[in-house]
Amino acid sequence: MSGWAQFRAILRKDLIRELRTRDMLVSMILFVLLAMVIFHYAFTVKENADLTYFTGGMLWVTFIFAMLLGLNRSFAQEKDERCLDGLLLCPVDRVTIFFAKSAGNLIFLLIIQAVAVPVFTLFFIEHNYAGDLLPFLVVLLLADVGICALGTLLATISMNTRSRDLLLPILLLPLIVPVLIAATGATTLIFAEGAGFADLAARLLFLLGFDAVFLVAAWGTYDFAIGE
Amino acid sequence: MKKLVIAPALFAEAGICLIAGLLLGFWLAPVDASSMGYSQKIFYYHAPIAETALVAFGVSFVAAIAYLRSGDLKWDRLSYVSVRLGLLFSILVMLTGMIWGKAAWGTWWDWEPRLTTFLLVCFLYAAYWVLRSVVDEEQRRATYAAVFAIIAFIDVPVTFFATRFLPAGMHPTVITTGGTGMPGSMFVSFFISMVGMTLLLAALTRRDLAIEKLKDRVADLKTTIGG
Repeated sequence: MSGWAQFRAILRKDLIRELRTRDMLVSMILFVLLAMVIFHYAFTVKENADLTYFTGGMLWVTFIFAMLLGLNRSFAQEKDERCLDGLLLCPVDRVTIFFAKSAGNLIFLLIIQAVAVPVFTLFFIEHNYAGDLLPFLVVLLLADVGICALGTLLATISMNTRSRDLLLPILLLPLIVPVLIAATGATTLIFAEGAGFADLAARLLFLLGFDAVFLVAAWGTYDFAIGE
Repeated sequence: MKKLVIAPALFAEAGICLIAGLLLGFWLAPVDASSMGYSQKIFYYHAPIAETALVAFGVSFVAAIAYLRSGDLKWDRLSYVSVRLGLLFSILVMLTGMIWGKAAWGTWWDWEPRLTTFLLVCFLYAAYWVLRSVVDEEQRRATYAAVFAIIAFIDVPVTFFATRFLPAGMHPTVITTGGTGMPGSMFVSFFISMVGMTLLLAALTRRDLAIEKLKDRVADLKTTIGG
């Protein structure tokens, strides 16, 4: 079996398992919607308050916490059902496991965003940003790749420790602050000022660089993280 | 049994350099002409502490790679000790930065890139510590800690770069690619303090390594005795 076939097989397994129960996706979507309602009450301090400059922050805080929920869940199942042990016994390159798990997490995050962004637009965005949709999608995708790569690596480590899901936010959040800064800034610029590719160039390049650096770093260290 | 290495000579050299750097900072270097005045003197410790913290994290990064390559626990000890000292120095950077900020700009905290980076670095390496505390098995703890130390060190410059996207702060940029922007007498004081701080790091690292080694020995002896 080639590496590409192994990658597809692991990814397919993750997707099928999730689509059968939908445990993780349903909780993540509900969490995201609830978070938006809570943000509305938390930030609307006076009538007709303008929340435009908070939109990037609201959106990314919600995504990051939803992602934490999903990551913990996906690895808890692997561990509890001893699925990971099975995977490790197969003649599969550990790096293939990393890329397949990251891709799975990325797909789940994109599904969440596909539901969350329209609802968010309905709740909080007053002007039409259809013209800026492409830069927004690029920001989403670039930030998601970095978050999923680091998230997958650290979730693999944290599930093998005593505190398991308690540990993941403590490890992951300080590491992805750079992504948050760039993605939040870019998203707010798009929603509040209608920024295009030219205005976002520095942030987009930064996100691309972040993805490249940490994909390589995670690729180099995953073998050790997943263990024997 | 080998004697405990506490490197008194290194401590003494570090102390001499640090005192000399401070005295020269007051006597030789000019008083800052801008609004900072005498409060600028803290620079002769603040900046060397910051650079020493980064050196300590750099050592932990290299030691972590060495551990993953060799599996020898001595590298894990070095990585751990360096992170601990780096964290201590980072906290000192923030404290001296806050004191300076209060004296020069009238505010204890300012979200400017360098101070923000050090705050995030503190969280990052505090997480390293938490990670170590929740893994019982020695080899596994060392491996996870090494992976995290590598990722964390790569994240430091990335974080610093990202903080540039935040609205600008008030921190002066002293050392740029164009030179140090310091008169000679300031540079001498700064350089001596810097050497002193690096020697202090080396002395503390040696002492901590010796203590960690002893701790491991005690643990081994306990197991042998059957405690």
